[in-house]
This record gives sequence, structure tokens and C-alpha cells, in this order.
Amino acid sequence: MRLNRSGSTNIALNLLVGICALTLAFPLIWILLMSLKQQGEVMAWPPKFIFSPTLENFRVLFDAAQAGATSYGTIKVDFLTPVTNSVAIALGSVFVSMLLGVPAGYVLARRDIPMKEDIAFFILGFRFAPALLVVIPLFNVFQTIGLYDTYLGMIWVYQVVTLPMIVWLSRSYIEDIPKDIEEAAAMDGAKPVRVILHIVLPLLKPGLIGASLLIFLLAWHNFALGLILSSTKAPVTVALLKLLNPGVQFYPVMAAGLVVTMIIPVILIVMGQRHLERGLTFGAVK
Amino acid sequence: MTLQSSVSQLASAQDGAAKSASPPRLDWWSIAAIAPAVLILLGFLFLFFYGVFQSLTDLKFGRPLVHFIGLTNYAALIKTDDFWNSVRATLVYAGSAVLAEAVLGVALAKLFATEVFLARVMRPVILLPLVLPPMSVALMWTTMMDPQSGILNYLLSLVGMGRFAWISDPATAMISLVLIDIWTYTPFFTLIIFAGLQGINEEIREAARVNGAKGWATFLYIELPLIAPYILIAAVFRLIESLNQFDIIFGTTQGGPGNSTSVLSVRAYITAFQNLAFGRGAALMVVNWIIVLAGAFLTVKLWRYVRQRVS
Repeated sequence: MRLNRSGSTNIALNLLVGICALTLAFPLIWILLMSLKQQGEVMAWPPKFIFSPTLENFRVLFDAAQAGATSYGTIKVDFLTPVTNSVAIALGSVFVSMLLGVPAGYVLARRDIPMKEDIAFFILGFRFAPALLVVIPLFNVFQTIGLYDTYLGMIWVYQVVTLPMIVWLSRSYIEDIPKDIEEAAAMDGAKPVRVILHIVLPLLKPGLIGASLLIFLLAWHNFALGLILSSTKAPVTVALLKLLNPGVQFYPVMAAGLVVTMIIPVILIVMGQRHLERGLTFGAVK
Repeated sequence: MTLQSSVSQLASAQDGAAKSASPPRLDWWSIAAIAPAVLILLGFLFLFFYGVFQSLTDLKFGRPLVHFIGLTNYAALIKTDDFWNSVRATLVYAGSAVLAEAVLGVALAKLFATEVFLARVMRPVILLPLVLPPMSVALMWTTMMDPQSGILNYLLSLVGMGRFAWISDPATAMISLVLIDIWTYTPFFTLIIFAGLQGINEEIREAARVNGAKGWATFLYIELPLIAPYILIAAVFRLIESLNQFDIIFGTTQGGPGNSTSVLSVRAYITAFQNLAFGRGAALMVVNWIIVLAGAFLTVKLWRYVRQRVS
């Protein structure tokens, strides 16, 4: 792979990579610029790349009480509540999924139980479940038992996305730990619970942190479940769509909202690139 | 090697049983550990079947009495042009997006595998589109594809091309959505194919070179067959997800303009939650699900066939 290339080939390849990277990054840079512009500047033609930045859009986004008095008219935006909702639901989903999913992942990696592969396949299959088909009956069920528009209901339904992922990821991480270590400890007379607590868990910690970053991200991404099963507890992705008000060119404020929803994933990349790659590619990248 | 996990998940139960020498046994600790997760997911499975059942009823919002009407919903659906239009839109969207992403994914992976200076520095950028919420991606492109003030039209005008209405024009809406999907998910192929390329033994490439194979020939006859299983497994995952795609299409066009991008999932949502015909909406989702199943089945079959030929 590392053959000696001529200087011109090298420059050409670097240039190509640069163009590809720019194509991937440019939309985000553009939205960031847009979120710092004023309404008039956003509609300008040709588009402005140089302007004096303003944080007005972010103020409109979060300052629900004052929003009526801006140049955007009387539209009131409360973006803080959806952000809080999304964080609460995502953290709750991560917590519940870890609690239920890691033990299941351990059993699927280490124990010989009947129909093990069937169970694993059944669990993985939910990664591709048609969410809408589950949600149509769930909408009626939630209305009946009072889980509609509650954190509890949302965290429960988010398990359809996060739980299969954590079972599957923790299984693959546990399979990476040599079995000999556990067997040696068991040979020395350690009880299974002690082996898991003092040997497996510490070795598993980095993997689990990475997995929880990933499922936080999956929960953060979700739109359809929140759209249908909540109103006041709606996640940030649903609130975003409401910013695109038909008839009102609300672009700069929406750009500010987009920046808010995109900044958390970008931070997560910085924190755990390898883990995210592994999770997002279903373990193909290790 | 690197596909081990995916492979073992997709392998049939017989493979698993053959591996363990001692017969599997039940122990209560294992059952207690696995039961909560399985029970929760069984709950969703029940809801799924309940949804399938609802597709056989005339359930509407606020209707006190619900009747079992058999396949009437389906029979009514297949008589409408809208339904077939949705089926076509779903297939066109997923098919063209996955095909383009596979080709571009190979190219991008090869490019980053050259390990030139920028390729090493820019590696994390590949991940960027994948970690953004699909709804944010959708709205981001909506602003960029604005016919009046969108940056895309400006960039095109720089190279002397006229304006497009992008997602606002029935003629270009579908291709615009496919472009958004390509931008977002080509990196998924790239990451997986990149792993495949790294798994190829350097000696194989060396042997080809010694035997006088040119760069293109090495790629076409040596590398491509070896990464083909990686391309196909990525295609399986992407095909399932893009046949189910809802966020990006709902966030940009909501199925419009006209019917041009009304894929099954979006039509199902509108039928169930805007027209409040839950039974009819569920029927649309069942059709979508059958298409997903058929698509996944075919690509998994192809993947297994290719994998057997390679190994």
C-alpha cells in the first residue's frame, strides 16, 4: 500500500481527498455561518461569506419570553424544553438499555444456552424493525394506559432502537476479551459474580463507554417515535421541523437550531471516534 | 476476520449449535440475565403483530366499533395509482441511493486507503454525516436547496449552470432526495469497505505486482473480489434502512411536491396520523415491511453466494 509515489501523484491525491472532505464538511460550515447571520443577509444573492456575526438567532431560539419582540414577528420559539426532553430521554434510554442489555450480551457471548443464535438473531432483527408499524398500535395503547407524552413512555419505546444495539455491541466487546482470563479466575475459586464484577467489567469499561456514546447518539437522532408519541415531551428533532414554518422564511433561526442539534454528535466524534465507527458499522470496523 | 460479528449474527442456528461440543443447558443465572431484554423486545414483537392485525381492520381514530375486514384494506390499496406510485418511489429511492453509495463508497475508501497526508488527517470527517440526526440533515439540505437563496444554486451558477428548484419541483425532487441520501450514507460504505481493504494481505498485492499486474488490474481482479462481501453486507444494512427511510423524506418534502417523493413510510404516516385511518396506514406499513424483507433476503443471499466464492 505504501509504494513510492511521484510528487505530482501525491499532490493530486491530496487534492482529491481535500475535495471529498470539503464536500462532507461544507454543509455544516455553511449552516454554522448561516446561524450567525441576520435575516436579510441569509436571503442575499449572491450569498455572503463575509459578514459581521450575530448571536441574535440563538437568543430567539432560547429566549421564549422575548421572542415576540424580534424582527421575526410574533412567532415564539421555545427550544430549551425540547433540548431538555431529548437529553432526558436519551440519558434514560442509555441507562435502561445498559442495565438490561449488558447482562444479555454477556450471556449471548459466554454461556451455552438453548437457541442462543436464534435469540441473538431475534434481538438484532429489531435494529431493522419498521418503527412506524410498531408505533401505529402503540399510539392507541399509549393513549389508553396514559403513557402518551411521558418520559417513561418515551424511554420505554426508545428501547426498540437502543436495546438491540447495546446487546449486540456488548456481546461483540465481551467476545473480544479472552475467555482464558475468566477461566483462570474461576479455577482459582472465584465465584461467577466476582469474576464478572472484578475481571470482566473493568476490561469491558472502555467498550461500554463507547457503546453508551453510540446509543445516546441513536436516541438523539430519533424523530418518528417522538413525532407520534409525544407533544410537550417532544424531542429536539421534532421541534426542529416546527421551526420550518410554512410561509415564514425562518432559515437563520432554524440554522441556529440545527447547530444545536449537530454540536452534540460532533463532540461525541471527538470523544470516541473508534467506538462510533465500530457501532455505526455494526462491528465491521474494529 | 473483521466481519466475524456480523457473520455470526447472520449465520443460521445450525452453525452455532455445531460449534459447541457440549449440549447447551439451561441455567437460571443466564435466564435471569437475558430475560428482561428479551421480554421487552417480545413486547415490541407483540405490538408488531398487533399492527399487522390492525391492517386487517377498519380502525379509524375515534371510531368506537372496529370490524375485522380481512384483506379489504389491501384490496382497496392496490386499486389506486397512488399506492403503486408509492411502491415505485420507495424502490427508486432505495435502489438508486444504495447503488450510487456502493460505487462512491468504494472510490472514497480507495482514496483514503492511499494514506496520503490529508487522508490521514481528514479521516474523522468521513464519520461526520453519519453522526448527525437525519432530521437535521434533511433540514440542512432544505435550506441549501432553497430555489431563491440556496447555496447550491449559487455554486452551480459559478460553473455556469442555471437554477434548479431542487425539492420544490416534482421533476427534480426525487433525485434531490437521493443526493441527500448519498451525501449522508456514502461514508457508511466507505468505513466498511475501508476495513475490508485493510484486511487484505499485503503479500497478495505484492504477488500480483511481481506478476506484472497494473494498478487497475490489481484492483479489478484481486481487490474487488475480496472486498465484494464487505460491499454487499453494507448494501444489506443500507437497503433495509433506505427502504424504511422516513426522517429525510418527511423533513424535506413530506412526500411532495404532488406525489413525486411519496414513499410508502411517508404515505403510511400521512394515512394513519393525518387522515386518521389507522387500519389503512398499517396496511401500507405491512407492504413496506414485506418489500424490506424481500430486499434484505435477496441481498443476504447474494452476499452469502459471493462470500462462498471468495473463501
